Amino acid sequence: MKRYLLTAIGIGITGAYLFPLYWMYATALKDDAEIVQYPPTLVPQRPFWNVGEVFFGRHMPSYLWNSLVVAVGVTALVIVLGTGCAYVLGRARGRWVDALLFFVLMMQVLPSSLVVTPLFVGFNLAGLLGTPRLAVILAQTAKALPFYVVICRASFAGVPRDLEEAALVDGHSRLAAFFHIAVPLARNGILVAAVLVFLQSFGEYVFARSMISDDGLQTATVGLSAFLGPNTSDWHGIMTYSAIYVTPILIIFVLLQRRIVAGLTAGAIK
Amino acid sequence: MKISGQTSRPGRIAVSALPDPTASTMRLSVFDTFRDGRGLDALLVLLTLVYLIVFGLAPILYTVLMSLQQVDMFTLGDFSRPFVGFANYVDVLTRPEAGMVARHTLVFVALSVACQLVLGFALALFFQQDFPGAGIMRGLFLAAWIMPGLVVGGIWRWMLAGDNGVVNSLLAVTHLHPTKIFWMSDPATSLYAVTIANIWLGIPFNMLLLSVGLAAIPKDLYEAAQLDGAGPVERFRSITLPMMRATLGALVSLSVIFTLQQFDLFAGMTQGGPSNSSNVAQFWSWQLSFQTYDIAGGSTIAVLMIAVVIGVATLYVRSTRHEQIG
Repeated sequence: MKRYLLTAIGIGITGAYLFPLYWMYATALKDDAEIVQYPPTLVPQRPFWNVGEVFFGRHMPSYLWNSLVVAVGVTALVIVLGTGCAYVLGRARGRWVDALLFFVLMMQVLPSSLVVTPLFVGFNLAGLLGTPRLAVILAQTAKALPFYVVICRASFAGVPRDLEEAALVDGHSRLAAFFHIAVPLARNGILVAAVLVFLQSFGEYVFARSMISDDGLQTATVGLSAFLGPNTSDWHGIMTYSAIYVTPILIIFVLLQRRIVAGLTAGAIK
Repeated sequence: MKISGQTSRPGRIAVSALPDPTASTMRLSVFDTFRDGRGLDALLVLLTLVYLIVFGLAPILYTVLMSLQQVDMFTLGDFSRPFVGFANYVDVLTRPEAGMVARHTLVFVALSVACQLVLGFALALFFQQDFPGAGIMRGLFLAAWIMPGLVVGGIWRWMLAGDNGVVNSLLAVTHLHPTKIFWMSDPATSLYAVTIANIWLGIPFNMLLLSVGLAAIPKDLYEAAQLDGAGPVERFRSITLPMMRATLGALVSLSVIFTLQQFDLFAGMTQGGPSNSSNVAQFWSWQLSFQTYDIAGGSTIAVLMIAVVIGVATLYVRSTRHEQIG
């Protein structure tokens, strides 16, 4: 009996915590008259759906496409560059491994809003701002790569070494053992890390805002920030925009929730 | 890798024409070491390392350089700019808003970290208990953590709206604060508005790490204490807290680091205003560089803040080392 009481309390706490998400959807379903009502209605009285108008009126297809380009680019680059490094750091021991890990951790903690100034000036000199989405991909990759390496390293460290050694005895090269044994066995961690990198990059704001000036190449966060101007009052529109933008992210999260929790905790401990 | 292997074959013929026959075996063994030996490790590590040096370390060094130079709209595209010594540092630190921004940064970080830790700890303890659905609910909290910061900023700005925000309505209904608070436009509350949103955002991460730490405490310690007649408060004080010391140390440093990375909430909620009443160092640095084109000023603050962040991160790494030893 007591256990079910705890479950009830738990549902109450979780519901209260996730209330802001509910409020986003509830506001997206209210009409303008109901939105200015005070005190606000907790449940939309006359549910009103305006997805099409906001989606096309605020140029969301273009924004979302650009966000997707950035997120896919960053994720691909991070996987290619980081998986091998995570494998080596999960396997090797010694002073230089510690030093390298320290360096990777230091690169992970740098706030984007501070690093964006030198990157902007440097990319400007290198002519990279002419291809601004590529510039954002390169900058965001530097931000996401250390995170990916740290999470993946933990799952490579959990792959039993003797399986690889058996493959080497059978005459396979280490490279083949890496691709055919270590990577498949660590795929859960790799998947979680890659999904998290993808989601982070899909919601990236600082680099896009600072480096992309052409609105046609701008990402969904920047489109939202233009909507969120200082004197904004179109909360129905803003919350509809947010809901369209965030719903795919939340679906991915719910589908992979268990793996994400497991991957994050493993990465945090080891 | 494969491509370089194929091209080395015709290379061998060309090499055999050379007077030194060891050259060809040299080339082969270099290839073999990348495929099979220590060279593979080096190559895999170098991919990440070189990238992070070019796009991570070099920008930091470049910021340090720019903080010692005169950088504005006119010299932005030049490779060499006039050096001004520490003039930028003197200039930035003596600006009227500098002290205010520093104080806000401190308040923002201290309040965020403390509240995230206390609330995260309470939630971790609650969901540590054995009841149906505890694990799933704990996981659902992470939904907040995965959201784009700018969207979270937008939602909180709407919830904290002065005229028809749901938070003001809740405060009125519960008689906690009957009059409306204009969270974002009142300089007395704007910083706290962003802090509330940031606390909300940071709770899941705190809760997750603390849950991991709690799960690692051996259960028999609690059973033994219970046999000795220790109550729940006593058990928490004498077992949980000491056993969690390493986790707490690491978590506090990580939370400080994440809070110093927070930018999107400021952009989505207050823009640092009104009149800098909610401005913090990491947002000010960006404003100087990208809104007033005072890139030298922005770089100077960036250098100071990066030094702080790296200092905290070093503490974090040392605290995780202790965890492994102890």
